[in-house]
Amino acid sequence: MKLMLGTLVLGGLLAGCALLGPPPGAPTQGTGGYSPPAPRATPSGPPPAAQQPAPFQGAPAPPPPPPRKQFALGPAATALVGAAHAQERSRNFGLAAQTLERALSIEPGNPLVWIELGRENILAGTPAQAYGMGRKALYLASGDPRTQARAWRLIAASLRAQGRNDEAYVAEEKATALGQD
Amino acid sequence: MLLLALLGAGGYIYYLDLTVTHRFEGLRWTLPARVYAAPLDLYAGLDLSPPQLEHELRRLSYHRVAALEQPGTYRLAGERIDVALRPAQFADGSRPATVLSVRFGATGIEDLRDSAGREVPVMRLDPLLIGSLFPSDGVDRIVVRPQQVPPLLPAALKAVEDRTFDTNWGVDPMGILRAAWIDLRSHRIEEGASTLTQQLVRSYFLSNRQTFGRKFREAIMAVSLTAHFSKADLMNAYINEIFLGQDGNRSIHGFGLASEFYFGKPLSELDLPQIATLVAIVRGPTYYDPRRHPRRTLARRDLVLRILAQQGVIKPTQALLAARQPLGVTSGASGAYYPAYLELVRRTLQRDYPEKELTEAGLSVYTSLQPRVQELAERALDAQLRTLDRRHHRRDAKLEGAVVVTSPQSGDVLAIVGGRDVDFDGFNRALDAQRSIGSLVKPFIYLTALESGRYNAATVIQDQPVSIRLANGRYWRPHNYTRRTYGPVPVVRALADSLNLATVGVGMDLGLDKVSHTLMRFGLSRTPDEVPAMLLGAIDISPLAVAQLYNGLANGGFRTPLRTVQAVVSAEGKPLQAFPVQVTQVAPAADVYQVDSMMEDVMTHGTGLPAMRILPPGLVTAGKSGTSSQDRDSWFAGFSGGDLAVVWVGYDHYQPTGLTGSEGALPVWAHIMASLGTPSLQMPAPEGVTDTWIDFLTGMGAQPGCPGAQPVQVALPTGTQVPPMPGCAPGTAGTLIDRAGQWLHRLVH
Repeated sequence: MKLMLGTLVLGGLLAGCALLGPPPGAPTQGTGGYSPPAPRATPSGPPPAAQQPAPFQGAPAPPPPPPRKQFALGPAATALVGAAHAQERSRNFGLAAQTLERALSIEPGNPLVWIELGRENILAGTPAQAYGMGRKALYLASGDPRTQARAWRLIAASLRAQGRNDEAYVAEEKATALGQD
Repeated sequence: MLLLALLGAGGYIYYLDLTVTHRFEGLRWTLPARVYAAPLDLYAGLDLSPPQLEHELRRLSYHRVAALEQPGTYRLAGERIDVALRPAQFADGSRPATVLSVRFGATGIEDLRDSAGREVPVMRLDPLLIGSLFPSDGVDRIVVRPQQVPPLLPAALKAVEDRTFDTNWGVDPMGILRAAWIDLRSHRIEEGASTLTQQLVRSYFLSNRQTFGRKFREAIMAVSLTAHFSKADLMNAYINEIFLGQDGNRSIHGFGLASEFYFGKPLSELDLPQIATLVAIVRGPTYYDPRRHPRRTLARRDLVLRILAQQGVIKPTQALLAARQPLGVTSGASGAYYPAYLELVRRTLQRDYPEKELTEAGLSVYTSLQPRVQELAERALDAQLRTLDRRHHRRDAKLEGAVVVTSPQSGDVLAIVGGRDVDFDGFNRALDAQRSIGSLVKPFIYLTALESGRYNAATVIQDQPVSIRLANGRYWRPHNYTRRTYGPVPVVRALADSLNLATVGVGMDLGLDKVSHTLMRFGLSRTPDEVPAMLLGAIDISPLAVAQLYNGLANGGFRTPLRTVQAVVSAEGKPLQAFPVQVTQVAPAADVYQVDSMMEDVMTHGTGLPAMRILPPGLVTAGKSGTSSQDRDSWFAGFSGGDLAVVWVGYDHYQPTGLTGSEGALPVWAHIMASLGTPSLQMPAPEGVTDTWIDFLTGMGAQPGCPGAQPVQVALPTGTQVPPMPGCAPGTAGTLIDRAGQWLHRLVH
């Protein structure tokens, strides 16, 4: 019952609805090995030569926005994720994690697999690991707001499971700002 | 007096009877932990050709047949390969024997189907047994149950070794008399007449010394065993106990392991000539070693076949046909034996398991090793060292090397090469060689610089003479590898050309503690000596430790502990321990993206450039060379989108190699990357960073096609102001022509 409740709560966290919005920054604190740096001053170095034409924006003229990504799992990873869910229902969290790691070896750069692994870690009672996986998913989900939102929800769930409710709230806000799942 | 003697003898016999019965009842063989490679997952879309799948199947000792027969066979059927998979045990469960049909298309596997034609989304091949963690006495075995033993084997053993086994009392009196007569005539032990039960007693209870006293005890104990236990139990014990070969310091016991050791497949799959070969070996595993003495063993095998035919165990025609077969033993000492990798497995497990449990409890250990990657890495290192031997031959030392290959996302260690003699279970350079990393430290210095917010790839820094007063009052005056100074250079060039003076300037500006902290965040296990020479890589660590550091760079700033063991399962199949993937962010993704982008430029414009001759066209990689002082160490560490490899080349006793990282280690690295079929590096573009073209020499804005410029693509914080190179109009940035130029540049590099 507790498991079912946990799954429902987590499912709700990872599958909410929100509007598209600007991309977020990092949460104020994390279990990661570094604290996000203070806003950066414009980098400057010694000028390479005495006389220079007027500086221009280093970045080229903004290119047209790339087509929005939409991550999806391939058939093999989908089958393995399904098998992992069945194992979770039998409370075989260790086996479920191993099954998800098979999916990871097939699609290591797919943030959806990392989100699944993170979700599994929350169910298994290792939310600090889930946080790292949420951050990893967020990094990989660049360009896919929907998956980014799911990653933020995972981060929020992992923070809440660690009792870091204020940070969890901020993460949840970021998810909501990004869009619906 | 006679009565006393009789009483004494009776007491002794009673004592022997009690001892042998008690010990045999509690018979439990010590079972070394068995270590398995990562099984290959097959699925639609996997980039695998039919020959590659066939190679994988052969590695697992699957045999090609015309029509699928028993498990362990496969057949080629046009664009399909049909495989009769053996039953297999994995870390997370088992799979029964099953038939799988794999259909191939132009880009790899198109689909998988079962014997009923249903689509199968994903299916694993068997995990390859790569070794066992046997105890110091070297005894290794695989225990088989009677139902796993082909009936021909006990029948052949009886026919050749002990024809009266089913009816005798553990000894063969006529045989003993015959042997005793021969021994008395020659005044020494020449003839053996041991029954299978006596051989079992000798192997399990007694020493191998041949004395009359021992022969007496052996006979009494054999009779005792026969009186108390069934013949089936004794035969099963014999099949699992008997010594059948030696592999270095590992002794091969039981037919289960002997079958894997000599033929690379389970005992249940052996055919007649192979069973006859094992029965031939029983008589003298050293004398009839099929790898060292194939002709002698073949002659004895054929004798065994003739005896089997004479005894009616097989038909004479079967014996004749079998005698035409070659011995068919696998070429390697044990098929798949990777001692360097096994050593890391052992060290990993020793943290959690007592030695006795590892070597006796029958654990199954599932690892991350990928045999294909391991073989490619071994081959690449061996080929390069042979080439270098010809060019840089020293009489007093042998050039050595080490390789570590990982999967950056999961941290899985895919391969470890501990030296050029890969079968040598000795000094493991990948784990134990503590060598100065030289310029491999530079990406971490520049990452620290980017994190400070005061530098970016286009920032111009000074490559000029440096003189630093040390704590002991002396001055440290490093120099560039070329002994030249380069004046103002952009950061990207300082890294790509590995300029020492410019880097020391940046490092001293940042502070040694900051650089040290970055290294620790990425997984350096102990604080380095915070002396200025640290900035040029005066940090002595192993290739494996370098792989841990670079794994974070290949992984967008996420540290993932390297993983050799994935799971441990008990002898009863119960999961004991899993080593899950772990991930911790240790640096901002945007800063790591900028460093990685510069490391791509190392490959296209800097010290990694020679790799371009070896890598497939269009493969994007990032890396860094390293050369320690006096060329004692030649390093290269780098990664693609799916694999990371670290290569070290040098002498064990620190003689100068005369090789830079680009000359010694880089070709090995490039050959590994080229042969892996690895995907291009495609880092997710983080927020706040923009890919930009600048001139490699000046750091000024310069698009491809800009006259006199060496355009190089770097990542800069969005909004960074870069002065344009004279003649390169700012208005040209981002035009269609420029984008075409960028596309062309990527294609070429």
